[in-house]
Amino acid sequence: MFYPEEMTEAEIIITAKDLLAVTRALAGMGVFQQADASYLSVEKGLDSTDDWQERTSSYGALERRILNVMQTLGIEVGSPPSVDRATMVDVGTISTQVEQTEQAVQTVSRQLATELKKLEVLESYLRQMEPVAGIDADITALRHPRYLFSILGTIPVANVERLETSLARMPYVLLPLRQDNREMVVLLAGARNNADVLERAARSAYLNPLNLPEAYEGTPPQIIQALHKDISASRQRIGELQSELAKLRDIHRQPIQILLWEARTSRLLADAITHFGRLRYTYLVVGWVPSSRVEELKQRLKKISSNIIVETNPTRRSTAPQDVPVALRNPGLVGAFQLLTTTYAQPRYQEIDPTVLMTVTFPLLFGAMFGDLGQGIILALGGILISTRKVKSLRSLASLGPIVTACGVVAAVFGVLYGSFFGFEDVIQPLWMRPLSNILTILMIAIGAGIVLLSVGFVLNMINAIIARDLGRFLFDHNGLAGFVLYWSLLLLAASIAIKGFPIPTVVFVVTAVVSAVAVMFSEVLRHLVEGHRPLIEGGAGTYVVQAAVEIFETLISFLSNSLSYVRVGAFAVAHGGLSAVIFILAALASPGHGVGYWIVVVLGNLFIIGFEGLIVSIQTMRLEYYEFFSKFFSGGGARYRPLKLQPAQSE
Amino acid sequence: MPGGVTGYAAINSRVRAMYSGLLTAHDWVRLCETVDLGSLVEALKSTVYNPYVANLEDRNLTPRRAVYNTKRHLADVYTQVIRAVPAEVRALVTQLYRRYEVDNLKAVLRGIVAGAAWDPIRFVLFPYGPITVLPAQAMVESGNVTTAVELLRGTPYFDTLSYAMSRYTSEQSLFPLEVALDLAYWRELRHELAQLNGDDRTQALKIVGTLMDMTNLMWAIRYRVYHHLSEEEIINYTLPFGYHIRDESIRAIAAGADIAQVVERTYPDLHDVDVLLHEPHSGLPVLELQLQRHVAEACRAAFSGYPFHVGIPLAFLLLNEHEIQDLTVLVEAKSAHMQQEEYQSHLLTGCTPG
Repeated sequence: MFYPEEMTEAEIIITAKDLLAVTRALAGMGVFQQADASYLSVEKGLDSTDDWQERTSSYGALERRILNVMQTLGIEVGSPPSVDRATMVDVGTISTQVEQTEQAVQTVSRQLATELKKLEVLESYLRQMEPVAGIDADITALRHPRYLFSILGTIPVANVERLETSLARMPYVLLPLRQDNREMVVLLAGARNNADVLERAARSAYLNPLNLPEAYEGTPPQIIQALHKDISASRQRIGELQSELAKLRDIHRQPIQILLWEARTSRLLADAITHFGRLRYTYLVVGWVPSSRVEELKQRLKKISSNIIVETNPTRRSTAPQDVPVALRNPGLVGAFQLLTTTYAQPRYQEIDPTVLMTVTFPLLFGAMFGDLGQGIILALGGILISTRKVKSLRSLASLGPIVTACGVVAAVFGVLYGSFFGFEDVIQPLWMRPLSNILTILMIAIGAGIVLLSVGFVLNMINAIIARDLGRFLFDHNGLAGFVLYWSLLLLAASIAIKGFPIPTVVFVVTAVVSAVAVMFSEVLRHLVEGHRPLIEGGAGTYVVQAAVEIFETLISFLSNSLSYVRVGAFAVAHGGLSAVIFILAALASPGHGVGYWIVVVLGNLFIIGFEGLIVSIQTMRLEYYEFFSKFFSGGGARYRPLKLQPAQSE
Repeated sequence: MPGGVTGYAAINSRVRAMYSGLLTAHDWVRLCETVDLGSLVEALKSTVYNPYVANLEDRNLTPRRAVYNTKRHLADVYTQVIRAVPAEVRALVTQLYRRYEVDNLKAVLRGIVAGAAWDPIRFVLFPYGPITVLPAQAMVESGNVTTAVELLRGTPYFDTLSYAMSRYTSEQSLFPLEVALDLAYWRELRHELAQLNGDDRTQALKIVGTLMDMTNLMWAIRYRVYHHLSEEEIINYTLPFGYHIRDESIRAIAAGADIAQVVERTYPDLHDVDVLLHEPHSGLPVLELQLQRHVAEACRAAFSGYPFHVGIPLAFLLLNEHEIQDLTVLVEAKSAHMQQEEYQSHLLTGCTPG
């Protein structure tokens, strides 16, 4: 829980005869993240991976063809078969079956597509003719004019203005005949001796001329009548073809669903094998598996064959390579907060997973800022409602439900401590204090809490450095030991000056502050020194000193700003009380006698506080977590754990 | 989600945190000093690009792969920002990102015309991620442009391409399809800009409008200088709107006015544009680089002043784009073993500190 799950690097050596069974077992267990070992085959001049790549492509192409057929017939993909039944089918066999189905379906579907296209063209002719329906003249005469150049056609509405601009320097007529949202039927006309310019302008404005077939002759009403007749015949033919397709759908539904899953499973298995390393007589499978599942994996493979060799090597955090997949295992409520951690970054294998801390600190900070018994309970109930997925519009937020609930519960607890119930300060007695009456105290406590949290951040960074065996970072990083000593030296120095009779002399803190500041300032040199890295300074010494001075200044500023940033916890607790007081003032203005109006304003005000202030407080909490706390120790950038699985790939 | 402080507090913090991951002048010096592609990739492993290049070893390292992997970083940055910005500006940021999808679509169409298989095309495409609407592989495998366009039915590109298809059919050239896609893209971006209010709109215009100006101006110049198109064609193939650039300037270029004068009037700090245009094949890329520096300046300026607006994420995204552009130049240069003086003029950032 405090760290990503321990991973074990596994190398599995298998013979060709066990290839498929092992791949199926690995995919079936869904715990093995494969690493690419195919380069081994290439190095040894054994290009078997090419063969598997080819098979993967073949299965992929088959899968797409099947999906095309299913789409044509309107057949849904159906449910995947059980993992035990997952197998790799012969490309040739399945290909023949797919071809047969395709032939049966495509003959009809092509006819249907042609007929639909024909209908579309006829309807487009009709749309273009409708604006000139009232003209009782033979427009086919426009086909061969002597002095006039004209184009009747459709143009995207967005291009009309630009077309007019492009023709601004010559005489022309652009007659809009009909317009819908996106296109316009227009007649562009001008003198025949300007035909080349008009034609270029029309073409570059994507004006598609109406190409009414020569067969349609006469006046517009006559042409429209002929078009209607053809459209009606086309629609009847489409209906017949669709009935044929419906019959084919009933016949082919189940067989084609089976074919799809066979092709898909085969593709996934072949793709996995593509990344195996081919040795002379065997295959090498490399990857990672959570250490807790290694034994299970071994047992499963042993059942397949006794000839399978499994070499495992638990991956130490200190020496782990960058690409070790990071599996976070946070059960229950902590799991819900994992979402907030991974939104910031995926932890690296060697660093502490801050989710548990997030689970504790996030609701605490939120609750401290939003302390109210009644509003907290409402928020908690809202969180439970979101989690149940019963409200359709809130389903997409279901994963946030537990977080909202936790924040609501802690807010309710703080409500008891602050003595606040739906903003009423006189209903329950505070167990601790009322923020509005103790402003300075609560602000100081907030800063104190911030100092504690930041100190935890320093300690966690040092632990991370120890785990990564990064002595330089542990000792000299501005968030390491030197930074920690500097931070506390400055705090205690301030305390010793401010508090008379402080037990330790000020000079002690001055010395520790100066020493640690120098360590932070020259951290790069000192780190290079302990790591044996040369040269100690990269670039010129002068530049380095200036840079170091800026860095120590920045560090000091960040100490101050990070600590003071937590004052907002207290400030929001005070603001919450203040906002509630405003609601009651407004309610009293609305109904001085505390009638119905008073209670309406109180209820609406509380809803406003829950929604608006709740949102602001959650953003502030997020900021404190991400910006102040996480930045002390959490760098992220870990690789996600994506085990080989048949089921998730199917659902993708 | 409301805009202003509440809407932008989270994304602002996040962008500022990510901003620190942009390569520094010191990083660029280090990257430029590397001797070859292998050492360049090694140097990138100590930057934010590490997760993307960590698995690149000598045995599988090619310039194409290195570039593809670094672009994955940009795709991730875009995805994160799109997810985190307030809902009312999400459409704009998503549309800005769609530039890469439009480029992918053009690459797919070119691949089809060239008769290329899917495998060589896939790594040329920008790793756009799961939000893409392009069925790229199916389009390539369809083998012809008409069927490929049919596969786009239901996507924002279908209507645009279906208008332009009649020209493709008669001219057998992808030019009208590509121009139609570009125009539709920028019109949609402009539409999204127009949906914004107040400070968001002003700030977004500063960033996106500057980018729009650059694109429109370069189109007009290229159509005239490279393609020798007529006035009416240039006007129809360019945008009637911009930020600094007025339509009169574009129309003047189309009508045959002195391009250098028009450019220098719009960008008074640009000099010797006529010299650049004298040799357009080498000069136009330099001019484009200078205009991109204007965009970069606008982006950096967005980070000063009141921070709670869409300008910050937009500027951050474009700065990331510039970084990738420079890294691409560097990857190509290192793989061709070019000397620093041969390639540094092609970099937006440069190899010298500060």
